[in-house]
Amino acid sequence: MPIPNGGLITETNRQYYAGSQQFTSDGNANQTFTSTFNTDLVVGTGNYSDPATNGYNLNNFKIFTSPNASVWTELTPANTDVDALSSGASNAGQTNLTIVANTAATGGNVFAVVNKSTGFNYGTIASKTNNGGVDTLVMSQNLPVGGVPDNTQLSIRRVTTWTMSSPNIITIPQLLALNSYVKIQLNENTLDNVHGDYEYTRLDDVINNFLIAYVGPGKLISSVKRTDVIFHARRGLQEFSYDTLKSVKSSELTVPNSLSLTIPQDYVNYVKLSWVDELGVLHTIYPTNNLNQSPYYTFSQDGDGNPIQDSNDSNTEVTSQINAAWDKANPRYISGGFKNDLNNANVLDRSVYSSALGQRYGLEPQTSQKNGWFKIDQRTGTFNFTSNLANKLILLQYISDGNAYDLDARIPKLAEEALYSYITHAILSVSSGVQEYIVRRFKQEKSAKLRNAKIRLSNLKLDQVIQVMRGKSKWIK
Amino acid sequence: MAINVNTVYQTVLLILNKEQRGYMTPVEFNKIGAQCQLEIFETYFDSLNQQIRIPQTNTDYADRVVNLDEKISIFKEFINVTSISSSNVFNLPQQIGHNNGKTSVIGMVTAPTATAGGTTQYVIGTVGGVVGADTITAAQAQNGIIQIFGNGSLITDAEYAINGINIDFYSQPTTGLTLLTNYYPKQFYRLGQALYSAGGTKPTEELQRVDRGELYHLLSSKLTAPTASSPIYTYENNQITIYPTTINSGLSLSYIRKPINPSWNFTLGSGQSYSFNESSSFNFELHPADQTELILKILLYAGVVIRSPEIVQVAAQQVAQENINQQR
Repeated sequence: MPIPNGGLITETNRQYYAGSQQFTSDGNANQTFTSTFNTDLVVGTGNYSDPATNGYNLNNFKIFTSPNASVWTELTPANTDVDALSSGASNAGQTNLTIVANTAATGGNVFAVVNKSTGFNYGTIASKTNNGGVDTLVMSQNLPVGGVPDNTQLSIRRVTTWTMSSPNIITIPQLLALNSYVKIQLNENTLDNVHGDYEYTRLDDVINNFLIAYVGPGKLISSVKRTDVIFHARRGLQEFSYDTLKSVKSSELTVPNSLSLTIPQDYVNYVKLSWVDELGVLHTIYPTNNLNQSPYYTFSQDGDGNPIQDSNDSNTEVTSQINAAWDKANPRYISGGFKNDLNNANVLDRSVYSSALGQRYGLEPQTSQKNGWFKIDQRTGTFNFTSNLANKLILLQYISDGNAYDLDARIPKLAEEALYSYITHAILSVSSGVQEYIVRRFKQEKSAKLRNAKIRLSNLKLDQVIQVMRGKSKWIK
Repeated sequence: MAINVNTVYQTVLLILNKEQRGYMTPVEFNKIGAQCQLEIFETYFDSLNQQIRIPQTNTDYADRVVNLDEKISIFKEFINVTSISSSNVFNLPQQIGHNNGKTSVIGMVTAPTATAGGTTQYVIGTVGGVVGADTITAAQAQNGIIQIFGNGSLITDAEYAINGINIDFYSQPTTGLTLLTNYYPKQFYRLGQALYSAGGTKPTEELQRVDRGELYHLLSSKLTAPTASSPIYTYENNQITIYPTTINSGLSLSYIRKPINPSWNFTLGSGQSYSFNESSSFNFELHPADQTELILKILLYAGVVIRSPEIVQVAAQQVAQENINQQR
């Protein structure tokens, strides 16, 4: 169904897949175009319609025009250029610029004059006086050194080609041809964020839905503050992020020679660290556990072993020797000998001799691996890796708490009901005058729905289970 | 939909049996009427609080919550408010409605002109050379109650619309009709909901009211810190202060306005008798369902005025019985 027809989907197929919304011009100036994307249009500061400004780079969309809805031209100041020609020399250090009479040039600082060959911007046209075949333009700034020589090819350029004075409403000040086309096109990264969005419900929607359906006269929660619901919804999302929701955060990183990487800003806990071989296959990097640990304090000590303080009464510290020892350690000495590094998961890339090495009797399983180790230095907030991982490409998979960024504040629809139950129980359990049996009832309901959510989100598919189980009766020779 | 002030006054006089017990003057009636109207009005909110906690039937006309809401709806208002000096502080509608203390204006004569058009527009209060003509602004017109009388008779709302300070009749009024416009400013009584709209296609957000103590906690907590999609406000010193402080426009308020005092006005007829003058009077604004209670309450006070314990006792019993019935 490409056209929204009253369901939850409000975007057309074109908006969702192509990220564009098309309009037709009514032939008037200052026509407004209202975006109906699920995503809010975002603009930068300053003259954000001009690609020459930094504000433009912060926009999450572009505006295009077309006479036939087939060939599109971005609506930028440069694309509104009208040729002009200087008439006589205009001197430097003054604001007057004379050009051959040109109807495109008008005052009011709506248009700028640009050198057509060099691109130099002479400023905006404050006012214009026509004197026969010559227009005298009063510019917003003095002309530069050298002035504007006679017969210089110029361009009259509209300064602002579109504005967004109200959220999601675009105004195009200039007159567009009747029945020509205008298109709002979302940027690619913005569109990426939208794709697959139907899988989720926004946390704001969850809060509003909860207040509508679960709160009111005649209900168990007769009244509750919106901020209370916001708090419990956000806390619920945090809890769900830790052990229920899918882990979707991951970073592709290269381990530098320093062997340490800063923990991501929205990191709560890691799921897995892996290095990537030439085939792109992941190899798990294991935590050091009891092999090594970065010290939190590295005090310099006096002869009695006590920390030494500086003139500000702060303890002085020295470079960690534990870290230094670990950094230069060869992991082979811990994991057991192996002759050649195998750089990929290609099973055919192993000789009989090298693959047999390391198969000692009585191996310690937790150290018998060649992928290397990582540890977390809580003091410096870094992941530290063993030396065999230097310059290796790694994948860091981790969980956040769902509250770090606006885009995170959403819950999979498969767990939406569990979140409602979580909020209900959280509110009832801290409300006075609610009988204990009611609290217990909702505690059970919360647990049951959370269990359902976990089963749903575990994504167990029958055909995948069958595929795995087909190997159960394989002969082990 | 109102209770006719003349009907109430005549009924009160009838029950008082003016020849036997005494007489209630129009001045006394107007003051007591205003008092009783406010008393009944204030009970709406307490009654609603009680009824909302009791399971209701949803049968037509029997739901007490709905019935009470219908009575209150007469006084419900919704208005856009502007901030003070583009800050996050907003004035209450009271300041707008009164517009620097604009009081009721009764008797703004609007020039009746005979035009051939199907509809005719008149500007409120602008009559060249008419003594006593007064004017109001568009903001005052929007935040006031305007009644229009044609040759002394009230013209119903269905016959015209007020746009700015213009009266737009849907059909041409009778030629030569004398139009009289009465203006009563709406007075702020009780704050309802505060809503914020960022404009464009952004959804409207409801603001939560917090007190000063809560405010500091909420601002300190990262999880509950107010945002443009979940703003909060404090209500102090007749002003609304919104958080986050970046919000300085787009605020709308729903509020309950105070009922306008009733007025039974008259002209002196033959033999110095009082003759009811509709165009300078104002009806009770209460819902017609409260007419009986209103008359009983006026009688109660009237009994005190004329020193008749019998009237006081009967009226008090009736009022008490009615209250019991409503809350049973």
